[in-house]
Amino acid sequence: MIKLQQILGLLRKLNIPMFACMIGLCVTGVMFVYSACSVREDPDLQMLYMRHAEIALIGVVLYLVILCVNYRKIMRWAWVFYLACLALLVLVPFIGSEQMGAKRWIFGVQPAEFAKLAMIMMLAWLYSGQHKLNGILLYLATGVLVGVPSLLILAQPDLGTAMVMVPTTFAMMFAGNIAPRLVWGTFLIGVIAAGALLGVIYAVEKVDMPQERREALISATHLKSHQIKRLQVFMFPDKDLHGSGYNRRQSEIAVGSGGLRGKGYLKGEQYMLGYLPPSVSANDFIFSVLAEESGFIGSVTVLLLFLGLIWPGLWIARCCQDNVGRLFCVGVVTLIFSHMFINIAMTIGLMPITGLPLPFISYGRTFMLTMMLALALVQSVSVHGRKPETAFE
Amino acid sequence: MIYRGQKLTNSWRIALLALLFAVGMVYLVMSLHRVQVVNSADLTRDQVRQSVRRVQVPGARGRIFDRHGICLADNRPSYCIAYYVEELRQRGLWQRTIDAVDADIDRLAKVLGLPREISKDRVALHVKTSLPMPLLAWSDVSEEVVARWAEEVGSFPGVDIYVQPERYYPHQSTAAHLLGYVGRDRPKSLPGQQVHFYLPEMIGKAGVERQYNDMLTGVCGGRLIRVDARGYKHAVWEGTPAVEGDDLRLTIDLKIQVALETALAGKKGAGVVVDPRNGEILAMVSAPGYNLNDFVPAPSTITWNGLNNDKELPLINRAIQGRYAPGSTFKPVTAIAALTAGEVTPDEAIHCDGVFRLGTMRLRCWNTYGHNDIKLRKAIEQSCNNFFCELGHRTGYEPIRTVAAEMGLGVKTGVDLPFEASGLLPTDEWKQRNMREPWRVGDTCQIAIGQSMLLTTPLQMAMLTAVLANKGRLYRPRLMLREGAGECVREMHWPDATINLVRDGMHDVATSGTGRRVQIRGTQVAAKTGSAEYDSGGQRRKNTWVIAFAPFEQPEVAVVILVEDGVSGGYTVAPLIHDVLASVFGETPLAEGEQSFPWLMEGGVGD
Repeated sequence: MIKLQQILGLLRKLNIPMFACMIGLCVTGVMFVYSACSVREDPDLQMLYMRHAEIALIGVVLYLVILCVNYRKIMRWAWVFYLACLALLVLVPFIGSEQMGAKRWIFGVQPAEFAKLAMIMMLAWLYSGQHKLNGILLYLATGVLVGVPSLLILAQPDLGTAMVMVPTTFAMMFAGNIAPRLVWGTFLIGVIAAGALLGVIYAVEKVDMPQERREALISATHLKSHQIKRLQVFMFPDKDLHGSGYNRRQSEIAVGSGGLRGKGYLKGEQYMLGYLPPSVSANDFIFSVLAEESGFIGSVTVLLLFLGLIWPGLWIARCCQDNVGRLFCVGVVTLIFSHMFINIAMTIGLMPITGLPLPFISYGRTFMLTMMLALALVQSVSVHGRKPETAFE
Repeated sequence: MIYRGQKLTNSWRIALLALLFAVGMVYLVMSLHRVQVVNSADLTRDQVRQSVRRVQVPGARGRIFDRHGICLADNRPSYCIAYYVEELRQRGLWQRTIDAVDADIDRLAKVLGLPREISKDRVALHVKTSLPMPLLAWSDVSEEVVARWAEEVGSFPGVDIYVQPERYYPHQSTAAHLLGYVGRDRPKSLPGQQVHFYLPEMIGKAGVERQYNDMLTGVCGGRLIRVDARGYKHAVWEGTPAVEGDDLRLTIDLKIQVALETALAGKKGAGVVVDPRNGEILAMVSAPGYNLNDFVPAPSTITWNGLNNDKELPLINRAIQGRYAPGSTFKPVTAIAALTAGEVTPDEAIHCDGVFRLGTMRLRCWNTYGHNDIKLRKAIEQSCNNFFCELGHRTGYEPIRTVAAEMGLGVKTGVDLPFEASGLLPTDEWKQRNMREPWRVGDTCQIAIGQSMLLTTPLQMAMLTAVLANKGRLYRPRLMLREGAGECVREMHWPDATINLVRDGMHDVATSGTGRRVQIRGTQVAAKTGSAEYDSGGQRRKNTWVIAFAPFEQPEVAVVILVEDGVSGGYTVAPLIHDVLASVFGETPLAEGEQSFPWLMEGGVGD
């Protein structure tokens, strides 16, 4: 009975708004996956929302179990989790299964999604301040810890997942005040590189030059042709509306035609008529479906639900009395924010198209589970992190 | 390792991140506001533009009646076997759907025992351009085929009978040139509406079908179709229903039209019957003609080439497009001009010895022995060339040209038919420009007897005859029956004596002159014959004319018939005029033993 009392005591410390918002997002996700898949002809695909709901339910159970466990005990095993993910990532090219031109799945899970969580855990553990490492070493260690899995993910290819680690890593290093000069230097170089890339894209499109030089410039970027196209579409939205610019355009039409109040649940026309390709409407472009059916009001509601994860997440970080918890929370919150921001921005053409899911709403079982686990650990920080402990050993 | 006492990271850094995220959120909200609220209308319009298609459905075409309400052009249902391609859609490439439809048409062709009417290219074109529309695999099939299809309907999903209105002309070739024919084309789009798909609509290509096309056509109905990204129909909204076209009532009298056509059967020529009281056209024929129903739904290549390459030009409406020298039928014009100018008096006799001489020019009178001393009234009756050449010589060209122009020659009559010719009433200037020769007195004399450069259409001559009949009112001829008086173009104020003298002369033509074969028992007729020589491949041939009106005192009809390559007006055409007038007024039956004007049928045939 003492156990039960303990658990109830823990639940009292639970961050209720954060939990509620997460549930809200899951419900929203199931609703709109149902909506997006209701027009599919294949009965298996029509039932996609059930699988989404299943994994959400499993996730919530895991969530409730994990938040009872002290995160410090879990963080201790971060390296095991990390190595396991790394091993799976290495295995993907050999035994993974391919869908739509990318090899990402192994036994039905995407190791890349778990790897994100593993990396955040590793970094939190690394930056906790107990290792007596100096800045340069930390910087290099970060480079290796994040770089190796990211390169493996990039090779799948999965640019979005790899890219989302960039802001997450930066935010954690910033919050932990790790090697500030190196971080800012890297940041500066990154900005210059991105600017140069966009400059090249712009020049190729707008500046008059011979075709060979154009091709030479493009090949100098070392990007794949579809990535170049996405960037071109991003910079010149009206280019190639029936080819590479099609999804961006249709997604914008879906969001915009939703208007203030939306067309009503199950009444979205863009996905129903197939202008928004059914292959993406349930995952990467789920926000378009949502925005078309629920309008500006619905979009803002979803943003508020996300705010309900981010704000408490940062509050928990602030209240936490040790660096592992703090930085972990910062990492998770940044990851969620990045996903949300890039995904929504992409559906309305503010960002180049990258296959990045919207947490809890997009269909994607591994990602859903990863997000649940991450938030469960944040809750664990909320529950266990308010008092400093000696418990790492 | 001990956590307690470790240096905690600064909370302001977390606060700064929170601020950064907040800024990101606000940016997203603002962007969403821009897309979903500010630009919503534009994007909604874009969505409608890409997914909504407007379909036009033509309204039924109006029918055409004669003046007594007898139908001349009707619509009949035409049964077509149509494919609704969407129901045969295949997954994957379009080509698979095209192949499937194509194979199905072959299968159905075997069942129906019909040869294929449409090629695979046509199927492909249909799939690419008008997917939601029915694809007509066989048009206008017989009832037997429909019955055979009905037995097999179960094994052909996506195939259905499509009923399409088709033009039908109950009287076959009657009034063919007048009515014209229809073709099918895309309907006119309503203002401000972009039409994506349409059912072809009947469009008048000639005759009144063309002239009154807008009136007959009606208003297209609209339907909106929502299509998915592949172009398949997703939903249909019935829009505005199609409005039937208005019926057209013509001034044509079918009875007279048939009589005129019978008269001209087997000949080349044209005839027009008008009402001199208001300019209404009672009949208009051009021979040879064609069967209107051969043009429905479209003339076959054989029919079309046959008609187009025919040397006798059956597609030409000679009544308004044929240009012929009027010959002696022009003489009343010369007479009026001379009388008005005071160059001749009714009692002045002019000598005719059979040849008119002017300088080196000689013009022979048809009567080689000459008419001796002859007065105007008799000169009209006998159609004396000498007399009228002399009148022309005396009067000069200008007064003659003025009277001819007043009576409507040289310009279009303004009849409500397309492609009317204006004929030619030459002037000095015209001759200088076109023939590079000055005007000669000889030209005036030639024109005084309706020869030389002068060209008229049978309709112009009919209106001229009407002017003689109604003593000086030129009406605009019309085919559409309207309430109220006719449209008077010009009123001539000739002295009664002048016009009466000419009319009397024409009366004598019909009773004892060159045109006596026009006579019908029971009605007084006035007429004038004429013939004009023309050169046909080295041979001299004659276009022969008669203009006539009846009854003499209160004329109700004016008739003109022209026959190409005839013997003479009095011999070739006058009996035809007789037949037509008989059909209009009826003829008192012959008493027992009485002969029909036996004495009239003998004697001269000159004009």
